[in-house]
Amino acid sequence: MSQKKILLVEDNEFNRKIVHDLLARHPYDLMEAHDGETGVEAARREKPNLIIMDVQLPKMSGLDATRQIRAEPEIAKIPIIVVTSFALSGDDKKAMDAGASAYLAKPYSPRQLLEAIKKWLGDA
Amino acid sequence: MPLHEVGLAGDHAASAPAAAPGLSERAAHVLLTYTPLGTLVRAVARLRLSVHFKLLAAFLLVALLVAAMGAMSLETISTMSKQSEAMHHAHQRVTSARQAQHALAMQMNYTAMALILRDEATIGSILRENNRLNSALAQVDDSAPPEERDVIQRIRTAQGEVMATVADVANFVRDGKIEEAMQLQLRTGYPLFQQVEGLVEQVVRIEEEGMARQREATIRANRRAFYFMGGFVLASFLLALLLGFVISWSFILPVRRAERVLGRIAKGDFSTTVTVDNRDEFGALAARMNNMSAELRRLYEEEREAARQLEALNSQLARASQAKSEFLANMSHELRTPMNAILGFTEMILDDIYGEVSPEVRGPIQDVRTCGQQLLRLINDVLDLSKIEAGRMELSLTDYSVQEVVETARTSLRSLAEEKGLKFTANVQPDIPLAFGDGKRITQCLTNLVGNALKFTKQGGVEIGARLEGDMVVYSVTDTGIGIPGDQLDHIFGEFRQVDSSISREFGGTGLGLSITKTFVELHGGRIWVESEPGRGSTFRFAIPLRIAQATEVV
Repeated sequence: MSQKKILLVEDNEFNRKIVHDLLARHPYDLMEAHDGETGVEAARREKPNLIIMDVQLPKMSGLDATRQIRAEPEIAKIPIIVVTSFALSGDDKKAMDAGASAYLAKPYSPRQLLEAIKKWLGDA
Repeated sequence: MPLHEVGLAGDHAASAPAAAPGLSERAAHVLLTYTPLGTLVRAVARLRLSVHFKLLAAFLLVALLVAAMGAMSLETISTMSKQSEAMHHAHQRVTSARQAQHALAMQMNYTAMALILRDEATIGSILRENNRLNSALAQVDDSAPPEERDVIQRIRTAQGEVMATVADVANFVRDGKIEEAMQLQLRTGYPLFQQVEGLVEQVVRIEEEGMARQREATIRANRRAFYFMGGFVLASFLLALLLGFVISWSFILPVRRAERVLGRIAKGDFSTTVTVDNRDEFGALAARMNNMSAELRRLYEEEREAARQLEALNSQLARASQAKSEFLANMSHELRTPMNAILGFTEMILDDIYGEVSPEVRGPIQDVRTCGQQLLRLINDVLDLSKIEAGRMELSLTDYSVQEVVETARTSLRSLAEEKGLKFTANVQPDIPLAFGDGKRITQCLTNLVGNALKFTKQGGVEIGARLEGDMVVYSVTDTGIGIPGDQLDHIFGEFRQVDSSISREFGGTGLGLSITKTFVELHGGRIWVESEPGRGSTFRFAIPLRIAQATEVV
């Protein structure tokens, strides 16, 4: 059975490294995109099993990217965990409205993120 | 020329009473526009006299006309009465003249009869008729014109001769000398009679002519009096009408104009002024109205200018507020992104993801995590406060569980309590139903209070409580800490407040937590209060409606 693919869309280098290091010992195939546009392209190309999407991204926001993915039938069903900054009340609602499967508020605990990933992909 | 426009027929809708101009209105309009009456009305208006005086003068003039008419009537009546008297007099004179004529005829008759009857009685009748003639003549003679008096004198002379002849005739008759008597009568008596008769006839004619003249004079006088009276009455009538018209319109015109201008002012048009010819109270009124209009215009323009400025300021503020809000969102993101990395890496190091951490290193790493979490709370507090100050704090309303709120607060602070060796318990009423509100913010409030309690307690413990009292959920946090002096209890919920500045040095913290907690409690329509005894500990309580009304959602 091939490894499950996770697409991380995140512009901050250190936050990408956290996820990278967190998943290093787990049997997941991690791909990265640095902005919303390339994130959507990567999703089309790779059809990952799960997407972790930051909200504040260059070129296209995480919410717009999520809406874009939900609009394309081939990739519409992929679970997306949206990471919000919890800047203003209602961000969580905006994320769910955009089509997120779940959301995490920054700063999140790596343990929480791992639990969420396992929940959506099943123990690999 | 709008200055003298009359403003009657087809006037603006503002003047409601003149909405449907009647016949009299149209007539007045024509009179004022196309006749010199308009000029007269303006001239009266321009008189520098008070309205009171003008009205008084007009009424006085009308009263004078009535009085003059009365006097003239009296005068006419008196003239007519004199004429009638003169007529009567003339008539009497004619009657007297005729009586004289009649007496003369009778005298002749009795003289002839005496010649036939030859008795004393008939002769006596001649004398009686002679007396009647004389007395009638005396009446005519009274106030007779000179030429008539002349004639009368001649009658008297001739009558004297007649009576002398009659006496001779009578003597002949008494003596029985009838032949001589008849001869005397025919030769002398009869011609004398005829002479007197002619003269009396002359008097009668003169008197009848006098009466005819008098009649004509009376008719003329009556006709004159009639025309004069009629003319005077007509003139008085027209003059009174003219006075009424001029006076009333000299008052109506300024009132109409003022009314029209007031209508415009009432509709917010302050650019019009009222111009009237009057130099009386109406003129003064118009001047006052113009002052008022100018003042209103000034105020209106000031207000408009102020409103413009306010609007500009408002949009500036709105832009500033928008900028602040965007800045807050950006700052939140910018601060949280590195915090995410710091806390994330620390946690993963402590979870041995990068290999087992030696006990010597673990301690400092835990310190990094503690400080990082503190910094995060501070950042959250500052951001919350900024949002509250910007008026952009909004509650996110959902169903939530009170039990979960207490459990989350307890879980997040359990390790701190354990580190300080404090007893940390929760006592939640088990049957509290699902609540409605911003569960996250309420959790934040409870966490703030519990964090404070743990911070200020060195030994003993902290207990969290939650129970339902009517419609309100009352949360309580009781500690056995240092307590708060009574005089400070009122102030501790203010911003940047701590009981004593020395406390911040010992316990740390910015003093924002309680202020933010109070704001969230109040946004939910609740209240917060504290009971404390220095040295024994404090109990903070806050009460929140179990299910808040939707209306309090946005503040």
